[in-house]
Amino acid sequence: MKAVEAMDLTKMYSDFKAVDSISFDVDEGQIFGLLGPNGAGKTTTIRIALTLIRPTSGTIKVFGIDCVKSAASVRQISGYVPQEVSIDTDLSGYENLLMYSKLYYTPKEQRGQRIQDALEYMELADRQHDLAKTYSGGMMRRLEIAQALMNRPRMLFLDEPSIGLDPSAKTAVWNQIMHLRDEFGTTMLVTTHDMHEAEVLCDEIAIMNKGKIVADGSPTQLKDDMGGDMISITAHDGDCSLILREHGQLLVSKPDEGTYELVVAQGEKAIPAVLESLEAHKIHVESVSLKKSTLDDVFLKYAGARIQDGGTWRDARVTRLAMRKRKG
Amino acid sequence: MAGCASHEISDEEAKRMIGSKFLRTVSTLAEFELRKLRHDSSEIFIRGVQPALWLLVFGTALTSIRAIDVGSFTYLQFLTPGVLSQSVMFVAVFYGIMLVWERDLGLLNKLLSTPAPRSAIVLGKAISAGVRGIFQAIVVFVLALIINVQLSLNPLDLIGVALVIVIAGMCFSCLSMCLAPIFKSREKMMGIGQAITMPLFFTSSAIYPINQMPGWLQIISAYNPLSYITDAMRALLLPGYVSNIPLDLGAGLLATAIFATIATILFRRILE
Repeated sequence: MKAVEAMDLTKMYSDFKAVDSISFDVDEGQIFGLLGPNGAGKTTTIRIALTLIRPTSGTIKVFGIDCVKSAASVRQISGYVPQEVSIDTDLSGYENLLMYSKLYYTPKEQRGQRIQDALEYMELADRQHDLAKTYSGGMMRRLEIAQALMNRPRMLFLDEPSIGLDPSAKTAVWNQIMHLRDEFGTTMLVTTHDMHEAEVLCDEIAIMNKGKIVADGSPTQLKDDMGGDMISITAHDGDCSLILREHGQLLVSKPDEGTYELVVAQGEKAIPAVLESLEAHKIHVESVSLKKSTLDDVFLKYAGARIQDGGTWRDARVTRLAMRKRKG
Repeated sequence: MAGCASHEISDEEAKRMIGSKFLRTVSTLAEFELRKLRHDSSEIFIRGVQPALWLLVFGTALTSIRAIDVGSFTYLQFLTPGVLSQSVMFVAVFYGIMLVWERDLGLLNKLLSTPAPRSAIVLGKAISAGVRGIFQAIVVFVLALIINVQLSLNPLDLIGVALVIVIAGMCFSCLSMCLAPIFKSREKMMGIGQAITMPLFFTSSAIYPINQMPGWLQIISAYNPLSYITDAMRALLLPGYVSNIPLDLGAGLLATAIFATIATILFRRILE
């Protein structure tokens, strides 16, 4: 059985398609990543799976249970770590966990043990009786994950798990997420706009842009699809695009700014040849850099923009406006 | 036949499980409201300032002016139950604003991702408002005793008052939770909070007797839940005050039931 199975899932906000007939499935025991810029429809997808909002059309099942027809059953086996701060900062860490173990109807005799296990696992045991408002950002996030473990979920949904954390807190959260998969076999669906996070964490990735899944596969597969490495060149003496096309796939060509990005099979070996032919055309090259392909490049290839580009932020704003304007 | 019987039992069991889940959710939400109050009760005292002004300034001034005829009671005696119910209403109306606030923070998403039934979440929050209302009322009540207002201290009466306060807290928190999914933003809800509390207060029997109001105001007052809440409190706290307590409680409960139902139906919309 698949852990998550989505078929032609669509969510409309008035005439705006937040999620545009996507289909994907997540294998049991896997960390599955939805990667894309803000406003791509990742959070909407997670919220549909968690039965917080209803899809306009299409189906989604969690461990074979339909998210529309049997919402309460899906919620009983799912855990959720929202993007925003979701712990009650006016309660202690321990109380935050106690509250959720009660809301998941955990039998009384199991509660204490589960809470202590989660606290120790997330390295919060020594601060459990302090109010959560005194915690650091990383501790709050770990408490949120601990909270989502109170019902021992088969399926855990993490929305931007490391957003706003400093590098060391980020690494700690990543390690704990991976431990969950390795030790308990918990299946996870993670959304992120951080390429590096997706590469570190995920077994499988679906790249989302403007409500659609534009590519999917394992991180290695996706990078292999790129067909090689990227050479970035800066040169201001006229248009180099024709010359560069002879050497590989020209991904970016901005003669006005003098920047070009070229995909070639073996970057180290291609550079001398590229430089030679540019010099033969009397073009002075100011700088060259070589980059092994990353998921960001994969995203660029399929979505036609860099993930952190200004355009994508505008998309995010459009989504939020559409959500706010939505009537009824 | 045997198979049929066992099926019936499991059905009944399933129903009982849903019932117990409902109650467990409600009691959990109320329990953690109490825990929050225990961690930090300063808000209750800050919110006590306004009722204190009503009692100390407005109440004492009108008592000495004797502009309002309240029968055999002093005006302060008459006013105290009104200020009590008003302070509970102010606390309760805040729950709609808090709902929007929790939505913005992510707390509400998280809460709604548990198997807890939506109606139990609404009712749990409503009971929480009642619980907080009791503590708020204690502050006002003690203040009234300090300035020597003669009130009934009969334990049975006080238990009755606590019950009325819980109904009031539920009623007005459900009203504001009906409005939260419609207005959706914190700023609007702040405005709405102001826009409903003051009219509810001034069109109720909280500061003047209904029989002295102009005709049109009497009609409005008869549809205002705060009038019934205040009346019930007066009947319990002022020996000799005549009111139909079952009617008062019935009206409060009916309003609560209506608001709670609408809030449950609209609840999903707050996330979208």
